[in-house]
Amino acid sequence: MTPIIETKNLYKIYTDQASEVRAVDDVSLRIAEGEFTAIVGPSGSGKTTLLNLIGGLDSPTSGSLYAGGKDISGLSEKEIIHFRLHHIGFVFQAYNLIPVLTAKENVSFVMELQGRKKEEIKRRAEELLQAVGLGDRMDSRPAKLSGGQQQRVAVARALASRPQFVLADEPTANLDSQSAENLLDIMEQLNRQEGITFIFSTHDPRIMAKAKRMITLEDGKIKSDVLK
Amino acid sequence: MIARLAWKNIWRNRVRSSVILSAIALGLFSGTYIDSFMKGWIVDTVNSDINSHLSHVQIHDTAFLANNDINAFFLRSFVSEPIEAAGLAVSTAYRLILPGMLASANNAVGITVKGVVPGEEKAVSTIENQIPDTLGAFLPDDARMPIVISKKIAEKLKVKLKSKIVFTFQDAQGEMQSLAFRICGIYKTTNGMFDEGNVFVRYSDIFPSTGLPEGAVHEAGVRMADLETCETVAPPLKNLFSTLSVRDWGELNPALSMSMAWMDFFGIIIVGIFLLALSFGIINTMLMAILERTRELGMLSAIGMAKGRIFRMIMLETVFLTVLGSMAGIVLAALVILPSMKSGIDLSFLMEDQFEDYGFGSIIYPVLNAKMFVQMLVLVISAGILSALYPARKALKLKSLEAIRQ
Repeated sequence: MTPIIETKNLYKIYTDQASEVRAVDDVSLRIAEGEFTAIVGPSGSGKTTLLNLIGGLDSPTSGSLYAGGKDISGLSEKEIIHFRLHHIGFVFQAYNLIPVLTAKENVSFVMELQGRKKEEIKRRAEELLQAVGLGDRMDSRPAKLSGGQQQRVAVARALASRPQFVLADEPTANLDSQSAENLLDIMEQLNRQEGITFIFSTHDPRIMAKAKRMITLEDGKIKSDVLK
Repeated sequence: MIARLAWKNIWRNRVRSSVILSAIALGLFSGTYIDSFMKGWIVDTVNSDINSHLSHVQIHDTAFLANNDINAFFLRSFVSEPIEAAGLAVSTAYRLILPGMLASANNAVGITVKGVVPGEEKAVSTIENQIPDTLGAFLPDDARMPIVISKKIAEKLKVKLKSKIVFTFQDAQGEMQSLAFRICGIYKTTNGMFDEGNVFVRYSDIFPSTGLPEGAVHEAGVRMADLETCETVAPPLKNLFSTLSVRDWGELNPALSMSMAWMDFFGIIIVGIFLLALSFGIINTMLMAILERTRELGMLSAIGMAKGRIFRMIMLETVFLTVLGSMAGIVLAALVILPSMKSGIDLSFLMEDQFEDYGFGSIIYPVLNAKMFVQMLVLVISAGILSALYPARKALKLKSLEAIRQ
């Protein structure tokens, strides 16, 4: 299958006068379209750094990084922001919704940035919120939603731009068990039914249990890569 | 979409936004109020002096200016015919100006008598309106040897309406002449200095005693439509009478003209101080807003909001704040200033008549116009935009990843 993400000898090294930290150390991997992959490992193993590199939020020290068949390691800041808008969906640990906008407006926002038509934006925002079980909370602001509901809005927002893949950094870390289960069920269903690629960075055993592929990092290196 | 978000953003912290909005509104109101008050004060003073005695333009024989020599006259036809032909003036009043001594049974004062044609004088000056109903009228046709004096002179001479007073002066041949007049009116202008030295009699009553040739006058007071017209009409008048002294109100009363210029200058200073204070307020507010939203701004960049759009959002937030604050300030200014433009602001409780002693009216009628509002609005919004540049630049420099981690 065509890889949607491919890294070759990827390094991210932080240096100061006294020491050198290899957060990502010679990572080469390929992630195919439609995967439901978890990057796991202990704290400091480099999983969030790897996710940030793949999402273009951070730049590698060396190595190549292809996303959607494009080498994104050499893109300018303007180009990488544009790439993120059209190709990547993000789900953050702390939800990071815009507090002054309603759930529907939060989901619509990315599509408005893309310049899509009003009717399409409205239809898709409503569809996505229905899909994540928030059809009745579309006009609620984030402050009126529970943590689980906010994270489901964040998932809907991540999918709104029709990205090639979704990067989710510890998406269940701030949720209670029930909310975490619900969220994972929704994401698994979207993956299964619509073929959306999800890549998680997580400690959560529930994600690990549902993931079809688990990449374990240790000291920035891939320790294991298991396809279930 | 950016505008909608910017609008919603300014209402995140309602207290902070309300404080800065109030500061802008009060600042703009204060600036406008002070400016309209000062303009009103000086314009009232200028108009009062023009209406009561200065006229927009005065014409004299050049020699008359040196020592008010009775023989330094010109013939009214020499001036009236060219002015009428050129159509430069709305109306003109011709006067004899005679310095001399005015005496009652109790006292005597040095004054200047103005020999006027009542109909002409009423068309040029408002001196007729400065006589209260209870204190007579301005040189009525049926009165015999009437004289109009000021309240101040009446107090000095200890005379009242219908009292008899004697005016003594030197005629064109150097002979002393004395004429008895009966007080027919007592005026009071807002210019105490003018009031202390000027009385009015009919031209026809005093002319026979002057020994001057037929049609001789010392002064022509020319009235234009308004101050603006005066600026354009005065120069051609000067060209028309190159052998005479033709002076506009600014030249006749340089202190008044200078006061007007100073008021404009002070207005600029006051507005400048207000804008500077406002700029610091906006910078502070927007910096705080950005600092609070660092993580969110990082997220916006992460999900694909271009830096240019983030910059525009911050700038729009500032524009909304300044426009909203300015609108509130304008409404406040209009609500407070507009009523006082008609009723005036009476400052006589501060120093009673002392304002008038220095030539200023004690009732101020603020001057306010749409141009002033537009100027203030443009200045405030420009200051807001300039002030927002630094905070917006700060927002641009945020790195998505570092911002999200905060």
